[in-house]
Amino acid sequence: MKLNERSVAHYATCNSPPDKTGFLFKKGERNTAYHRRWFILKGNMLFYFEEKESREPVGVIVLEGCTVELCESESEEFAFAIKFDCVKAKVYKMAAENQAAMESWVKALSRASFDYMRLVVKELERQLEEVQEEARSSQAKSMLKKHQLQLQGATFSLQNATITGPSQEGVSSRENGVSWSKPPSVPNGVSNTQGDCSERGDGVRPHPVPPRRKTNGGSLESPVSPGTGCFSKLHDWYGKEVAELRIEWLQSQ
Amino acid sequence: MRFNEKELVFLSRQPSERAAELGMRGPKKGDVVKRRVVKLIVNFLFYFRTDEDEPIGALLLEQCRVEREDDQVFSVVFLDEAERKYLFECDSQEQCVEWIDAIIKASYEFMRKNLIYYRTEIHRLTGKDPLEQYGISDETRFQVNSGLPPLPPAAT
Repeated sequence: MKLNERSVAHYATCNSPPDKTGFLFKKGERNTAYHRRWFILKGNMLFYFEEKESREPVGVIVLEGCTVELCESESEEFAFAIKFDCVKAKVYKMAAENQAAMESWVKALSRASFDYMRLVVKELERQLEEVQEEARSSQAKSMLKKHQLQLQGATFSLQNATITGPSQEGVSSRENGVSWSKPPSVPNGVSNTQGDCSERGDGVRPHPVPPRRKTNGGSLESPVSPGTGCFSKLHDWYGKEVAELRIEWLQSQ
Repeated sequence: MRFNEKELVFLSRQPSERAAELGMRGPKKGDVVKRRVVKLIVNFLFYFRTDEDEPIGALLLEQCRVEREDDQVFSVVFLDEAERKYLFECDSQEQCVEWIDAIIKASYEFMRKNLIYYRTEIHRLTGKDPLEQYGISDETRFQVNSGLPPLPPAAT
């Protein structure tokens, strides 16, 4: 099978940073003595050179799919082997110069695969998304506070005006058009939405407010045109947004 | 240069990121376009005769550049021999774009850059080094600039 050998050899010595370098003893393939070679690990490729100064590698071991094991050797201490799963696979027997070097190489080689790298990248990608999502929802929480304060303001001003109508108990169905509702009485006049939220603490969402019909633009985004002072609409709109934000926040815990 | 051919052939039989029959032309003068089954597996591009199980060859996709040559044609060029182009003819523009994207992302170097970016960002946003829990925070390949010291340990 052909391989773009010249370019692969170039990869070994080009200026991309190696992941590990050092001397190791490698058992020969024909001549079964151990030969001292200079090794360069880059990604999932383990190159070996005759000397540290050699410009061309003697060979390369593609590490994808390999396992690395410590092994017993009669002649060498600190021996380990690079093994593969396929039929009649080669076993590369290696030996380091001391215990620390052996452990360090075994660790590096067993994590050198592209697959392992891909796993780590995916995990960090996921973590970053999580962190960014948390940042977004804490932004939402501060918006929540802002709305609560606005709603308190609205409650106070409307309690001063007289509005009567059927009282709103929890979820209520809305029909087309305006329906007035008296806000449930709360001792210190603190935001009604807090009361609503605690009733819906089990995560039940309020019925969505039906779309407004034949209004300016018909969008739910601006439910109240400055002139109407329709508190129920304002209340419903903020209540929905607040409930949604709360659910989002709860889910991110 | 010696390499573990049997193991590479075994790799070519593993599930691929992407595989298709494409027109392929080698980099030598006089090479013509031939139909090949092309398989992208980790950072290797294997190519097979359409009726054979053993690959004719493999290209390691490190230190290479992928370019759009035409509507449906892309090329792979290795930085050490930029005049030699491997050409690949696709069946559609969409397929061509997808292959280019897949090959760009298929290098170890590309993944390393992403990892370093994510690591730095997470550290910036949380003050914690996300690699510490895996015990790999001081590996050379994960450093922002090889040679510079690793990120400081998380404050406790």
